[in-house]
Amino acid sequence: MAMIISAPAVLPLSASTLGGRRLLGRLAGLALALFPWWGASAQADPVCVVDDRDREVCLAAPASRIATLSPGATELTWAAGGGDRVVAVVSYSDYPPEAREVTSVGSHTRVDLETLVSLEPDLVIGWVTGNPIEQLETIEALGVPVFYIEPRSVDSVATTIERLARLAGSEAQGDAVAAEFRAAMAALADEYADAEPVATFYQVWDEPLMSVNDEHLIGEVVRLCGGVNVFGELSRLVPRIDDEAVLAADPEVIVAGGMGEENRHWLTHWQQYPGLAAVERDNLFFVPPSLIQRPTPRLLEGSRILCEKLEVARGRR
Amino acid sequence: MAAAELGAHPMFAGRGMWLPLAVLALGGCAALGLSLAVGSASVAPEMLWAVLRGEGDALSRTLVLELRLPRSLSAFAVGGLLAVAGALMQVLLRNPLADPYVLGLSGGASVGALAAMLAGLGGAVITGSAFAGAFASTLLVFGLAHGTGSWTPSRLLLTGVVVAAGWGAVITLMLALSPAERLPGMLYWLMGDLSYSRTPWPPLALLLVICLLLMPLGRSLNVMARGPLQAAALGVKVRPLEWGIYLAASALTAMAVTTAGSIGFVGLVVPHMLRLVLGNDQRLILPACALAGGTLLVLADTLARTMIAPEQLPVGVITALLGVPTFLYLLYRSR
Repeated sequence: MAMIISAPAVLPLSASTLGGRRLLGRLAGLALALFPWWGASAQADPVCVVDDRDREVCLAAPASRIATLSPGATELTWAAGGGDRVVAVVSYSDYPPEAREVTSVGSHTRVDLETLVSLEPDLVIGWVTGNPIEQLETIEALGVPVFYIEPRSVDSVATTIERLARLAGSEAQGDAVAAEFRAAMAALADEYADAEPVATFYQVWDEPLMSVNDEHLIGEVVRLCGGVNVFGELSRLVPRIDDEAVLAADPEVIVAGGMGEENRHWLTHWQQYPGLAAVERDNLFFVPPSLIQRPTPRLLEGSRILCEKLEVARGRR
Repeated sequence: MAAAELGAHPMFAGRGMWLPLAVLALGGCAALGLSLAVGSASVAPEMLWAVLRGEGDALSRTLVLELRLPRSLSAFAVGGLLAVAGALMQVLLRNPLADPYVLGLSGGASVGALAAMLAGLGGAVITGSAFAGAFASTLLVFGLAHGTGSWTPSRLLLTGVVVAAGWGAVITLMLALSPAERLPGMLYWLMGDLSYSRTPWPPLALLLVICLLLMPLGRSLNVMARGPLQAAALGVKVRPLEWGIYLAASALTAMAVTTAGSIGFVGLVVPHMLRLVLGNDQRLILPACALAGGTLLVLADTLARTMIAPEQLPVGVITALLGVPTFLYLLYRSR
């Protein structure tokens, strides 16, 4: 992967806006102890970025050893241009393929702190709802800064990439990837802005049967493609429903993920209900889950597929 | 009945009881040493020695002193708390199936902890909420079993079991309603997991205090184990003693559960194992439980974090896998 490392662009920062000046001092001291060759200039160019827990994370200089504690964080860090600085990942970090070569520190629900600490990371990318908070707090107590992420929308994919690029010192690449992603998603939204609405049911899981509401990332993509999520109004982000609810909603299109990339058997379940509009018109579609369920730049590809499927459904009216 | 008879195993009467305790203490120290030496990251033996003398490089010091030591001490304390609580419950309820959780205490703690996790709160709030749940459950069972009528161990047991069943239903409901991304954390908490523990000192201190408080009560507890009528006939104030045992066991369990979630098996089987070997003298069994329970959990936790590293196993699985064959062997041999 081509790497462009630019000089660290520093966010506007004054002493008064800086939440923890002492923390910064400590971090700067730590970084200086670890990387003495930066000398005085490093102290003058700290990087400060606000994470998804609204905390300001400051590094004395861009991170050079990054641990990503979720498959999504791994993928986003690579997209941001920091891939060659990743020294630790967790299980299921399968994209990009290079990530499989990086040392694993256990699963995202239980991190092996010993292995993590021995890899001596200078930045840990945590997952707000996925990683155990006790473990992230322990990591911070050991003096390693933790940057929490929780991308839940199309736009936050782009902002997360930009922020990770600041931390990894790869703004040029990160900003380019983020801008490209934003532009392409905006173009897709424009293309389908005036499309006929399509009543859509997105199936996240089969047993128990689960869908998503409008606040979910997938709900956002369905809306962007001109779809109307039949379970969009439900209060839970990932509501558990039953067949009856689907029959009552009678969607025009059923889109399913599935466990594997080519596993379509969830859709055959619906063929026992020939009265469903989606079954009658054969509007049962499969979208590879890794392209639409992960908040990463690959979401663009997943969105394109979903939009095309909805367009196919419009053609069958 | 002569007092000497009450200590069931003459071999360990009097001064002889220090020998098994010394052996168990040595075993505990060995287990702690092993837990400091072994981990998913390797620390050379000479480096470990250097760290223990206050030297060594920064990384090894972090691994041994900040990651392994607090966790091992927590494991020791929690194992000891659970085993002593189990022994007390078995004496109180005069039921060999009694364990620290039989009266619904872990259920109350779990509901408290899960509620905090559902609300998206972390860390100290989970601990506090779990303790509040355990405390509420204790008071509920205490109040209901006290009731208006007469009080008996079977009434206490039934009240506790039904309250526990109620907590179980609430836990299932919470798991069913919780968002998918919070489920793994909740399940790990329910299975018992020492990576939640923060500082080992409160559980260690409580273990020590309760053991010291129970020391002078050993003889009364021995009489209690034979039945309340005999105890009353021998001049033991049964009612206050029973409530004292209940409160002590509750405090021990609440501390254990809030430190490490509900780790099963230790509280049920360690007291039985020791009785099979040492006899049923509570003066010996209670401190022996503290040492053996702690040792078992330290060993189990060491295995849990290294067996398939970097993946981490819940410690409760290992306690059962280690303890079941040992217990069955002792039971088989004792016939």
